[in-house]
Amino acid sequence: MIRRPNQRRTLLLLVAPAFIFVFVFFVLPLIFLLSQSVLPEDGGFTLTGYVDFFQSRVSRIVYLRTLKLGLIVTGISVVMSYPAAFVLARMPARRRSFLMSLVILPLMTNAVARTFAWLIILGRRGMINQTLLSLELVEQPVRFIFTETAIVLGLTQLFLPLMVLPLVSAMENIPDDVLEAARSLGANRLTTFARIVVPLSSDGLVLGATLVFTGSVTAFVTPAILGGSRLLLMSTLLRQKAVILFDQHAAAVVAVVMIATTLAVNLLLRVGRVRQA
Amino acid sequence: MVSRWMYASLVVLYIFLLGPFIIIFMASFGANATMAFPPQGFTLDWFANVFETSQFIDSFWISLRLALLSTIVSLIMGMPVAYALTRFQFAASGFVETVFSAPILVPGLVIGFAMLNFFVLLGDMHVMTGLFIGHTAILFPYSVRVVSASLRNLDPYVEDAAVSLGANRLRGFLLVVLPNMRAGIAAAFVLGFITSFNNVPVSLFLSGPGVTTLPVSMLSYLEYYFDPTIAAVSTLLVIFTVVLVQTAERALGLSQFV
Repeated sequence: MIRRPNQRRTLLLLVAPAFIFVFVFFVLPLIFLLSQSVLPEDGGFTLTGYVDFFQSRVSRIVYLRTLKLGLIVTGISVVMSYPAAFVLARMPARRRSFLMSLVILPLMTNAVARTFAWLIILGRRGMINQTLLSLELVEQPVRFIFTETAIVLGLTQLFLPLMVLPLVSAMENIPDDVLEAARSLGANRLTTFARIVVPLSSDGLVLGATLVFTGSVTAFVTPAILGGSRLLLMSTLLRQKAVILFDQHAAAVVAVVMIATTLAVNLLLRVGRVRQA
Repeated sequence: MVSRWMYASLVVLYIFLLGPFIIIFMASFGANATMAFPPQGFTLDWFANVFETSQFIDSFWISLRLALLSTIVSLIMGMPVAYALTRFQFAASGFVETVFSAPILVPGLVIGFAMLNFFVLLGDMHVMTGLFIGHTAILFPYSVRVVSASLRNLDPYVEDAAVSLGANRLRGFLLVVLPNMRAGIAAAFVLGFITSFNNVPVSLFLSGPGVTTLPVSMLSYLEYYFDPTIAAVSTLLVIFTVVLVQTAERALGLSQFV
């Protein structure tokens, strides 16, 4: 490590420009947002915005729905990714790196394009309805769009890679010898998986779950397209309050609740990790 | 240890991840305007429509310029921070790291909303300036983190050796450290570019009349029309991304940085 007498000045030169930028254009707006949520335009400090939010039936429903769908999406992602990530982690490096680049492909495409596909699949004349109609399982097209199912499907497709990536990198570090040892000592596949693979990949699981959950409860595009104003989540509620109802005070409250929720989840993760270490 | 049903789960995962893309592809070539599935006939009209819709063309150029500019600026400002974090020990390093990773922890929509309100407070600001500031801020976590990761892999003594052999600090940095950071910088650039280019939540609030990014104009197009034009735009974007990501993955192993 470099230690020189003018280290402070060098450090300041290196860090200050970016720090000032982030402070002025990122931290200050958030502080202003926080103040907006407790200082309505026509009065002094008040917490009524928060009281109103949690007393209003609509916003309570929206908040709980957001958390519920976030949990469902996280659960589905865990179940879908776990065995698949294990196969990926055990693959020869070349094939794995090709398959991993396919996993990150959805992550690199914009959410509007990806969510749009679900309109074609789930729409009134979409793939599923055409199939159901032609098999004569239903007489009228079933409404899938603007349902919780549609939002869950869209969000799962969006955030699944965020579960697969950390799981694969955690499982890559499990040596083959450990698995063979377990097998040769008499553990069957399921026992090996439950007692060796799962505990040794728990770091990846926790990280993936946090990413998927916080992604799901804050995503905007998917609930906007697949839920619309009929089935609001926190993000679409924020947009509605700010742009359609022009209630900046209430919108600021929704925004702060969203930040608090994601920070709480991330903090829980950090506490969990410290305890493990 | 790997059993047959595990392979089955891998197949299901990939169908779920990639199936929607195949459906978009098919829809963008289908002749009927109502988005019925399976599409009937074959046409390139929707692609022609994309290039005739100025809304898409204009916003594409805005998105491209915005992504390039904000990625470059966040890298120019973020690289020194990454260098400071990996080469110096100082008391506030934990705090600095937290501040620069914060934009990834705060929901994008909240960032956009907070910035819009704050910019209004500051007075008249050009829409493009607002977008540029917003995008640059949200890219710092990528530029600082990815470049730091690549610097951690470089032995600091290599640089010290250059200095003890007579190069000054700046020369040592430019001739020894910088060439070794190339992969990290390129990875940060690709990640930053894609993040900015695809961003909706931050741009949504900061866009203004006539100045909109491509994803936001796709979203607002969807509010009024439901035809395969969006499928065609998406197809073009997917091809664009595949080329970019596969090139980057081949050259840099992008998936280890995501």
